[in-house]
Amino acid sequence: MRAIKGVLLTCDPAVKQILLLLNEKESFIIEDLDDHHLVIKAEQEYRIRKELEAELEKNTYSLES
Amino acid sequence: MISTKRAAEAASYQPSKRPKPNDEDLELQNEDDVIPPSPPDTSYVPRSATINFSALTRKLAENKRSTDVEPQSGNLSSFDLHRRQQDKLISHIFMDQDFSWLHLKLDHQSRPLWISPEDGHIILEAFSPIAEQAQDFLTAISEPVSRPAMIHEYKLTSYSLYAAVSVGLQTDDIIEVLNRLSKVPVPDSIVAFIRGCTLSYGKVKLVLKHNKYFVESNHPETLQLLLKDRVIREARIVTTQADNSIKAATFTTSKAPVRGNLVIPGTKEAEKKKDDAGDGKATNANRTDADLFTSVVGVDADEIEEDDDNVHAFEIKDDKIDDVKKRCNELEYPMLEEYDFRNDTVNANLDIDLKPATVIRPYQETSLSKMFGNGRARSGIIVLPCGAGKTLVGITAACTIKKSCLVLCTSSVSVMQWKQQFMQWSNVTDRQIAVFTADQKEKFAGESGIVVSTYSMVANTHNRSHESKKMMEFLTSREWGFILLDEVHVVPAAMFRRVVTTIKAHSKLGLTATLVREDDKIADLNYMIGPKLYEANWMDLAAKGHIANVQCAEVWCPMTPEFYHEYLKEQSRKRMLLYCMNPNKFQSCQFLIKYHEDRGDKIIVFSDNVFALEAYARRLKKLFIHGGVGQVERMMILSKFQHDPRVNTIFLSKVGDTSIDLPEATCLIQISSHFGSRRQEAQRLGRILRAKRRNDEGFNAFFYSLVSKDTQEMFYSTKRQQFLIDQGYAFKVITHLDGLENLPDLVYRTQDEQIELLQTVLVANDNDADLGSDIKAVEGDLAGTVTSKDFGPMKFPAAQRTTGSLAALSGGQHMSYIEQNKSANKAISRPSAAPRHKLFTKRDKDKATARKEARANLS
Repeated sequence: MRAIKGVLLTCDPAVKQILLLLNEKESFIIEDLDDHHLVIKAEQEYRIRKELEAELEKNTYSLES
Repeated sequence: MISTKRAAEAASYQPSKRPKPNDEDLELQNEDDVIPPSPPDTSYVPRSATINFSALTRKLAENKRSTDVEPQSGNLSSFDLHRRQQDKLISHIFMDQDFSWLHLKLDHQSRPLWISPEDGHIILEAFSPIAEQAQDFLTAISEPVSRPAMIHEYKLTSYSLYAAVSVGLQTDDIIEVLNRLSKVPVPDSIVAFIRGCTLSYGKVKLVLKHNKYFVESNHPETLQLLLKDRVIREARIVTTQADNSIKAATFTTSKAPVRGNLVIPGTKEAEKKKDDAGDGKATNANRTDADLFTSVVGVDADEIEEDDDNVHAFEIKDDKIDDVKKRCNELEYPMLEEYDFRNDTVNANLDIDLKPATVIRPYQETSLSKMFGNGRARSGIIVLPCGAGKTLVGITAACTIKKSCLVLCTSSVSVMQWKQQFMQWSNVTDRQIAVFTADQKEKFAGESGIVVSTYSMVANTHNRSHESKKMMEFLTSREWGFILLDEVHVVPAAMFRRVVTTIKAHSKLGLTATLVREDDKIADLNYMIGPKLYEANWMDLAAKGHIANVQCAEVWCPMTPEFYHEYLKEQSRKRMLLYCMNPNKFQSCQFLIKYHEDRGDKIIVFSDNVFALEAYARRLKKLFIHGGVGQVERMMILSKFQHDPRVNTIFLSKVGDTSIDLPEATCLIQISSHFGSRRQEAQRLGRILRAKRRNDEGFNAFFYSLVSKDTQEMFYSTKRQQFLIDQGYAFKVITHLDGLENLPDLVYRTQDEQIELLQTVLVANDNDADLGSDIKAVEGDLAGTVTSKDFGPMKFPAAQRTTGSLAALSGGQHMSYIEQNKSANKAISRPSAAPRHKLFTKRDKDKATARKEARANLS
């Protein structure tokens, strides 16, 4: 049995849905615990945070845009 | 990089040769020279030269300042020194926006505003005791950018200065008053800007007098300059007595117009007139005592200024008007258009007046006095909030000019409203007012009158019916004293130009609530109609009780995981339906309705999406109106809402945006809207601004936007609010409604129910996701104002076919049908004929039998 280094992620249900969608493109979720918790691969964490940020930013209105 | 920095240092060292009284001070300055004023950059990329350059200019300015201040710094206390040191330390944070070198006047605390030397922005402390006067002045000379409670922002633009000049302000007065109000001396760049703009603007006027066009100016030299231009010279009509050789120098000179005895009907002055004249003199005396800026801002100020001036004019040919106008714009002498309607003897007078009972409000009076400031009618735009009585301003203007008048609005519905308002407020007779729409083509009887029409009816160029062609000939053949343009901001520029050029009108007045265009083409309006004459402050009107106080809130409803999952997978069109139908939004809506009904509010719920509208209304058992609801049913629902204490909530689609007036409503909930349209948001707010109960003590109206979290709706919602925020409204964000879970009959409480709802959304037709699909624009409505996608005839739902045995479908195999989610609309009974009194029923019966007998006898 090979061990994978994982990170526990706490999020709200909506963010979890975005993560599930990202997971379909490139798998990184190790375990889907419940509505608020996921375990993901540790080395992917930074990338996931970046992508999530970009996704959420789409719904924010700023005066510059 | 190093070399540029050296240059900066060198530049700053030079003046420091001056004897410095204080060593510490010297050290400070040197230190500042060495430390670059921008934050220490960690990158290895050399800083661009621009930053150093701006630092250099700042440094130069700083040195300039220190020459002024230095002599006094000897007796600076240690506290002051400390202060200075602090300023130096933080100034780098502001980078290019560091204006610490603008030194404050000694009594700056009593002055309310700052002026930015670079872009002409003016920041006003709205809490200052003289802020009110300052505001009046600033609205006259600049564009309001944002006006929240404490700090206002204005911007000086060439158009705003143009407007200021057109209402009669003088360059030196503007600068003088600005200087008085400003905490810092008015920067030279701004003074130069003001002079540059006001020098050319407003100096030339185009006046229609005795039906001849005159170019008029107070300054003969300006006219001479214009006449040097070939186009204008050719357009000039040379009067015979003028000697040809010196024709450029001779103008007809006449006394400048004075407001004189012109009285705008319905204003206080009209009443004052009735009082003895001595009273008027007393107020005049008071006025001279008032501060300079109040008199400059004052309505009557230009009367005084222009009194002793002579005006010079030359006549130009009618058919060259457009060329001359264009040419003048190119020469940067845009012409103001004024109409001397009292001396117009060619066009017949229209004998209309406001009804004696009509009283106009102070701000309406102010806006009109800007228009009629010197006894003539100026062309321009007046901006008033929705529900503040724009229509009455227009009508009063028409009653002041008393000439033939053309009113243009955006849809055939508002055509009828304008006509009705004219009948209500003024004594115009039915024969004098005519309507020109797709269905109705009337002409007024007599020499003069009013025609109400839509922009597209007038601007339409292709295939007209015979009747409308004749009507257009009628419109273009005559001269109009006054043209009223409703909702000017929505009209496409090309259409506007066509209207303005085909119709000969002496003066134009544009009315609007929201001078925002989603495409930022406001500059076109300035050129085509005229400058903005007046813009009301929403917060001010609310404070004075002319419009209701409104509490705005944005309610964030989290998406349920199932809905969000589908939302992420779906493409744009269906997405909208998903975030509208979010069960959490449903619940919030139910909760808010319940909460406000218990408070005794009357509630309107707006949804652009008809599918969502019906789903909500049916589930929550409320009445609803959308485009598909018949006229009779509509009227019934509206009267129920107005009069029945049991009906406190109605659901409205886009049809309610403009054409339905419900002064009973005190609370508004928005569940779906037209993307990021700032105008729609303002229009909807306008629905509750005229609330009947607005003058009750401590009364508040409520405006809720329900927004599904983490969706595009968040983006649109923020964008939509921008206009209202700039008007000073604050949106509270509500992330959790307290007590929501405890609502007894909360809808979609269980996950099963929610998933069922999701299924209905997913099977819904793609077209159901469209916005405003229920409204059909009539011919003559302006595209985009009735925000509809489909301009074709109403489509009927196609028949559904299923297979099954006849017995099964008719219920023979224990199958029965039940209608769920019945529309509450069906529950209201049709009003049966009111029960007649017994006395009459007998008489009716007798009459009926008599009629029957008579018929029987005939045959």
